Amino acid sequence: MNKGQLILSLIVTVLLVSCDSGNSTSLSAKSIIYCSEGSPASFNPQTITSGTSIDATSNQLYDRLLSFNPGDNDIKPALAKSWHVTRDGKMITFYLRKNVEFHQTEYFTPTRTFNADDVLFSFNRILDQNHEFNSVAGVQYPFFQSVNFSSLVYEVEKINEYTVRFKLNHSDSSFLSNLASDYSVIISAEYGKQLSQINLHHNIDLLPIGTGPFKLKEYRAGSFIRYYPHENYWREKVKIEQLIFDITPSNTSRLTKLLTGACDVIAYPIATEQIQKYSNLTLDAVTSLNVGYLGFNTQKPPFDNKLVRKAIAFAINKKAIIETIYAGKADMAKSILPKSSWAYDDSASEQVYSVETARILLHEAGYPNGFTMNIWAMPVQRAYNPDALTMAKLIQADLQKIGITVKIISGYEWEVFLNMVRLGEHQSVLLGWSADHPDPDNFLTPILSCDSAGKGSNNTQWCNKDFDQLLKDALQTANINQRKKYYAQALAIVAEEVPLLPIAHSKRYQARSTDVKGKLLNAFGGIDFRKVSKN
Amino acid sequence: MLTFTLRRINLLLITIFLLTLVSFSLNFLFPGDPLVNLSGRINPTPEQLLILSEQYQHNANFFIQYWTYLQHIFKGELGVSMASRLPINSEIINLLPATIELSMTALIIAMCIGIPIGFIAAINHKKITDNIILTIAMLGYSVPVFWLALVAILVFSIQLNWLPSAGQISLLYEIKHVTGIQFIDILLSDSEYKWQAFQNASSHIILPACVVALAPGTLFIRLARTAMLDVLETGYIRAAKAKGLSFTQIIYRHAIRNALINVIRHVGLQFANLMTLAMVTEVIFNWPGIGRWLIESIYQRDYTAIQAGLLVLSSFIFIVHILTDFIYAALNPLARDSKHGT
Amino acid sequence: MARNRIYQEEEFPSPLVQSWHYFRQNKVVMFGFGSFVFLFLLAIFSPVLTPYSSFENNLDHLLVPPAWDVNGDVSFLLGTDNLGRDMLSRLMHGASLTFGLSFVVVIISLLIGVFIGSISALTTGIKSIFLNHFLDVILSIPSLLLAIIIVAILGPGLGNTLWAIVLVLIPQFVHITKNAVKDEFSKDYVLASRLDGANSFRILSYSIFPNIIEKIIRQATLAQSAAILDIAALGFLGLGAPIPLPEWGAMLSNGLDLFYIAPWTVYLPGLAILFSVVATNLVGEGMRHALKQSKEN
Repeated sequence: MNKGQLILSLIVTVLLVSCDSGNSTSLSAKSIIYCSEGSPASFNPQTITSGTSIDATSNQLYDRLLSFNPGDNDIKPALAKSWHVTRDGKMITFYLRKNVEFHQTEYFTPTRTFNADDVLFSFNRILDQNHEFNSVAGVQYPFFQSVNFSSLVYEVEKINEYTVRFKLNHSDSSFLSNLASDYSVIISAEYGKQLSQINLHHNIDLLPIGTGPFKLKEYRAGSFIRYYPHENYWREKVKIEQLIFDITPSNTSRLTKLLTGACDVIAYPIATEQIQKYSNLTLDAVTSLNVGYLGFNTQKPPFDNKLVRKAIAFAINKKAIIETIYAGKADMAKSILPKSSWAYDDSASEQVYSVETARILLHEAGYPNGFTMNIWAMPVQRAYNPDALTMAKLIQADLQKIGITVKIISGYEWEVFLNMVRLGEHQSVLLGWSADHPDPDNFLTPILSCDSAGKGSNNTQWCNKDFDQLLKDALQTANINQRKKYYAQALAIVAEEVPLLPIAHSKRYQARSTDVKGKLLNAFGGIDFRKVSKN
Repeated sequence: MLTFTLRRINLLLITIFLLTLVSFSLNFLFPGDPLVNLSGRINPTPEQLLILSEQYQHNANFFIQYWTYLQHIFKGELGVSMASRLPINSEIINLLPATIELSMTALIIAMCIGIPIGFIAAINHKKITDNIILTIAMLGYSVPVFWLALVAILVFSIQLNWLPSAGQISLLYEIKHVTGIQFIDILLSDSEYKWQAFQNASSHIILPACVVALAPGTLFIRLARTAMLDVLETGYIRAAKAKGLSFTQIIYRHAIRNALINVIRHVGLQFANLMTLAMVTEVIFNWPGIGRWLIESIYQRDYTAIQAGLLVLSSFIFIVHILTDFIYAALNPLARDSKHGT
Repeated sequence: MARNRIYQEEEFPSPLVQSWHYFRQNKVVMFGFGSFVFLFLLAIFSPVLTPYSSFENNLDHLLVPPAWDVNGDVSFLLGTDNLGRDMLSRLMHGASLTFGLSFVVVIISLLIGVFIGSISALTTGIKSIFLNHFLDVILSIPSLLLAIIIVAILGPGLGNTLWAIVLVLIPQFVHITKNAVKDEFSKDYVLASRLDGANSFRILSYSIFPNIIEKIIRQATLAQSAAILDIAALGFLGLGAPIPLPEWGAMLSNGLDLFYIAPWTVYLPGLAILFSVVATNLVGEGMRHALKQSKEN
């Protein structure tokens, strides 16, 4: 192209800019751009808990041994064709699917299909402290730590190429659900071997290889992720040629991109009522098992004092928060468990709003004149908390009434924020939890058990032996009524000790252009682009 | 010209010295361990700390430490970002070109529109056109740039749907990162959608570039107007008038050329201004440039990135400043004898 | 009190009075000056004048549009934000933060800058060369960038923002004072008083300052418009005023998420910033004109 042509083309471009959308349809018809709210911390769900990372990786890149049936949330086969549980619940045998191919990419070419070695590799990495990939680049396995996986699983045994057996120390009624959750992905043992030879172990979580419907093409930190379809995917092949995660932390920018057509689907939309007015946009709402809460750092004064925590629980006007932040569309939380969980206890009493009681409690606790505290407000939107900053401002105003001065901390990037909170930098934090599977254990154990304290999911650092024992007892029985009783007792302890103040349970929203067809969200876990297509 | 060159090089060296000294001392001013701030390796083990201390000569006296720091900089080692754990020099190489592309485009727009309008105002001095132009110019440099960006998105992207609101190019197009200047990369790429990508990239740059260009553009109007008024009062213009040249001839043959030289003198200073406006604009337009990165680094308290980013950005601004000084001196022999500074 | 005129003496108005005379003649400039005074009074008296508290949430009136809208409410003239706080009250309070503080900032840096500038005008030699180089470097970095740098060092916050802007503005005052003082020193009337035996300090305060004060005021208006824009920009970027404070830039960024539901939370603070910068610039422009005219006559 010579100089004259270049100048001419520039001029033409400037003149015809508004017409260019017509030319690119061929490309955009085959691609989906999803505007996500943040960068993934890792490309391996084993090592993370944040929903942002799960959305970006789990269902796109990987498969699990088991999966959930979207309709009734029953467990159904995935990479395991079938399975068998012994009567005492201590031995589970999986019969694996044959001819499942791993991704072929610029950095890895598989020579064999999926087999028992991959299952052993994936789980031994987590279980075996001496495994060469166990602590590569300092990773941890917060989900598995929170469910106490390593003390539960005694051994993973290879019976033959396509059969593996998990031997447990005791029976656990949530074990299969945990294996079907987004975290229990299968990674390639052959890839691990290759990395080990060239001594680049840390690439296992940065340049992912899985069996999932998409494979990684390009990732530019903080900017975008580009996925190509996996040509030899074992299930039905995907219908698009490109899947792009456009990382857009700003809520307004995401909506703007949706309105201007720069994104096909956006995560956590704001102004949901406004979106419904556009005929070319749809708003999806999915009931999700979640809870948004204000967590107290029980290791730091003044929140090591139960009375102070209680006082704050009385002083916060939850009803106003529901009206303002959730536009009245969420359920006010009585306890950590939402109504749709089977262990929900309707008889539990509701937290009352009473500034007077709060003042009295604060006086009893020895802070008649109040104190200064900080609230860390999560910087991203989540279903359980669409606007933590504004919520923090409301709480700030509420606590002002009982003489407590609140400093709001915000502005950190999401992964940095989670890391700082994990290290216990906060006094109190607005966060939440979305369940990975329907078992109530997935609520209580990760957010409040001793094992998960300070490891990523229990940010209150709270540890109560009685509470933990009740959770353990509940897991060892399969009798639902018995389990319900245990959970009710456990929740009574939480209500008395107030390590956190549950605020709301809400639906998960997502907005998309009407051109995009196919189901994207399930009740549990991250977004799934496997079945998506475009008109 | 020789003394002029020497003076400028001298100035450049002193400045670089001052800037590196400032950015070196920042490591001590920021909270936390200076070694960690310098290298960006958070939570180091004692062995790692020992190696770092060795690398940066941390136990030697201040001058040796500073000297080692300089050596690291000239080798292009700026440490790793505390937030993303990526090497900072590669991040800067990725991001700086996008900012340069945006500010250069904006500079061209500002000059191409601002200077002619300024001349028109000067030619119509004390007439209604002049007053209207001056009023618009005044409004132009009073508008807060972040607000202007938002209004521009609302009008041109949302309501009229003419121009895209975010990014450098639609992510549909897979353009390999070679130079970082998007337009050059597109021309170098072998994508089958090259032409569409080019169109798409140009439609993406128009809105942010115009927003960035507004304030400097109005300053160029004023500069050009003043320069032209000064030129029109000089002796040689009067002589040309006396010779009987028509007004258009005087303007085109003599006045514009001389007035332009005086405007060019200010381009360097305006470029610095432009870079700052571009930094703020990048945040709103999601432009993958160094400004957005630097501001995010401040949020994350990523001290390694802050000090390295500031060093690179201010050196870059200063180098451009000196380059325009050279261009001006080359065009205008009179300026070479001027005393230090401008 | 009228002075008794014993001799037929001609009165020369001081340069400042002369400038004021020319300044008054331009109506647009006087409008700007009026607005400036208005903002100044608002900045001082806003705590008394605001109809509502600018911090207190009013959850019964969330996102009420301005009164001229169909759904508007006259009791909230400019509407409310997402916590039901009255926009008018917040904008008025914001005047004391954005405009008032920028005024204070300019005064502080003016005093420091003029002091350093006059001293440096009297020094020569290597110190002066070093200062010149240093000023060249600092002045070539744009004020907002420099402010961002300083905030990066000091950490975000309103106080730190203000110090950063003070530091950024000082070199400009040093530069202009130094040049103006040097120019005046080379004039004959200074030589005359020097021959009378006046020391440098006396010359500075009695002869020079009255003659350069308009130049400094003109620089102060430029500095103030930069200060307003910088405080607002830092507030907008979340590096300045902390959360509940209704600083205009911070208000604007707070309104960002409401851009599509409640556009007034974005355009009103923007207009407030624009208005105050235009008013300041008009005063500066008027000063420049007046200076030029008094020089020409």
